[in-house]
Amino acid sequence: MTNTIISIDHFVMEFGSTRVIDNLTFSIKKGETFGLLGSNGSGKTTIIRALLGIYPATSGTLHLDGKAYSVSSGIKLGYLPEERGLYKKEKVIDVMTYFGSLKGMTSASARDWSMDYLQKVDLAQKAHTQIDKLSGGQQQKVQLGVTVMNDPDILILDEPTKGFDPVNRRLLMQIIERHQKKGATVVFVTHQMEEVERLCDRIILLKDGKAAAYGSLSSVKKQYDGKTLDDIFVQIYGGIETEASDV
Amino acid sequence: MYNLSTVIRFEVIRTLKKKTFWIMALGFPLLIAAIGGIVYFSNQATIEAEKDIEKQKFEFVVTDKSGLINSQIVQSMTGTMSPPDADPSTYIADVKNGTLDGYIFYPEDLQRESIQAYGAHVDIFTDGRYEGVARTLLSASTANAADPNIKAALTGAADISFTAYRDGDEYQAIQQMILPGIFLILFYLLIAFFGNQMLTSSTEEKENRVIEMLLTTIEARTLIVGKILSLIILAFIQCLVVLAPIVVGYILLHERLQLPFVDLSTLPVDWGRIIIGFMIFSASFLLFTGLLFAIGAAVPTAKEANSFFGFVMVMIFGPLYAFTLFISSPDSPIVRVLSLFPFTAPIPLMLRNAIGTINYSEALLSIGILLVTAVIVMYIAVKVFRYGALEYSRRLSIGEIFSRR
Repeated sequence: MTNTIISIDHFVMEFGSTRVIDNLTFSIKKGETFGLLGSNGSGKTTIIRALLGIYPATSGTLHLDGKAYSVSSGIKLGYLPEERGLYKKEKVIDVMTYFGSLKGMTSASARDWSMDYLQKVDLAQKAHTQIDKLSGGQQQKVQLGVTVMNDPDILILDEPTKGFDPVNRRLLMQIIERHQKKGATVVFVTHQMEEVERLCDRIILLKDGKAAAYGSLSSVKKQYDGKTLDDIFVQIYGGIETEASDV
Repeated sequence: MYNLSTVIRFEVIRTLKKKTFWIMALGFPLLIAAIGGIVYFSNQATIEAEKDIEKQKFEFVVTDKSGLINSQIVQSMTGTMSPPDADPSTYIADVKNGTLDGYIFYPEDLQRESIQAYGAHVDIFTDGRYEGVARTLLSASTANAADPNIKAALTGAADISFTAYRDGDEYQAIQQMILPGIFLILFYLLIAFFGNQMLTSSTEEKENRVIEMLLTTIEARTLIVGKILSLIILAFIQCLVVLAPIVVGYILLHERLQLPFVDLSTLPVDWGRIIIGFMIFSASFLLFTGLLFAIGAAVPTAKEANSFFGFVMVMIFGPLYAFTLFISSPDSPIVRVLSLFPFTAPIPLMLRNAIGTINYSEALLSIGILLVTAVIVMYIAVKVFRYGALEYSRRLSIGEIFSRR
């Protein structure tokens, strides 16, 4: 398929004797917003880390734009990991400029871009403030800025709304929508179903390292008799009914 | 090594911006300057005090039963000679009641009995004048009494000039040590000042949870090499900051501080030993940088990494306790083991190279072992960093490091 940008083929991941991902195959098309869904511990973050070369796969192939990802592959990637943080003892502008430079921008353009971004998110006056002197919400804004620096073609957001206040959640959604309009591919890793319903074109729902459901949002819903994603999620993981009856 | 220069620039600049770097760098020369200042002012004060004492005139009486004291010299020093059979207790009583400043009694047999000096207390420094006068009187009175050669022999004033030969050439052991020994001092300073930073430089990204983002923008190997190179650059900047004021201070003030002057132009230059010293230093520095970095990468926090620091320091500097063995028994098994085992080898090798008790073949073998170990440790450091970086809350076990691909 020519418009496939991410392809995962017979991917197996084992940690010691534990098989976390079991022969998983799926693909993501260029320009779509894709939801990688599953309960805690279902292997979502593992897939992303393996896709980005942070973890070596036990077997199978994980390709980004036709090849295994490496930092020198020329793919413009924006990644917001689940575990977040920045150099806390450094100034906001220095950290943003550093990441911009690592992503291929010149120091000057990274600095200009950062100042422009900080202006837009009302943090221009904090550009020369040490990151640990910012509030949690302000740090989230800086982290988002670092993620979308250099106008990425692929945006991978691992639990992006985790810990975000409503203001930053709205900012994140605006950023995602802006990149969607620009034709970027967005991979949304989450278990927050309302955002998936709002933003995603296609989804994969993971259970025990396998695909429990995979396809367009409408086809998955059709497969489950038109239920909402929330209900489908509960049905797959078998939670609420059992828990409610136990209480 | 895409982005290597970006990492080096970021790491060097942000460290140079830290106050702690400059406190550490400037603290040492300032401490040395403070100690030098105290020594200088103390010397000056002592010299001034001695001059003041010399100027002070005081009345004293001398009773001489030895027959050695010259009465003219006593008089020239404002003293008075008592009859040899005078009763010392009379003069001692005068000193006690303050009617006489000082009294000195020379016994008949100076080998068995001590010279007795009595004086009115002035202060702790000035009180030394009575003893000083007693000695001056004795040495001045006996100056012409003996043959000058015998006197020089007896007082230890005779000078000895020694020339040592090694392999048929004149050999100045102390001077020969200086240039190869610089690497030992440099290694000590770098580890002492930068060891901790090497250890914690790989935990920072983990503690700040920034590592995952970094690893998608830069290769782990490039990040590590960049960090290690920036540490080396910073270490040399720090050495320069530490040593430059000390060297300038020494050149300008060594006379005032009464420090021995080392004329660098007369230092013997043994290029073989200097090159060996440089090679040992470089391989050792690489090895311990990699080791400290790997330890930092394997543990979740800087605090936990610090608990390993003492152990590494013992390995590096522990062999100094066998210092005398390196000189007296360079072929003993313990010296050889310490020199060949890579984690204890740096100090023994640099020390033995400086004092000239290591031959080229042994030195090259040890350097080879150090280099191979350094490469292995660096490889492990990259592996540990790669897989330990995402272990935010637990220590990576040795089994895990080697079991992962």
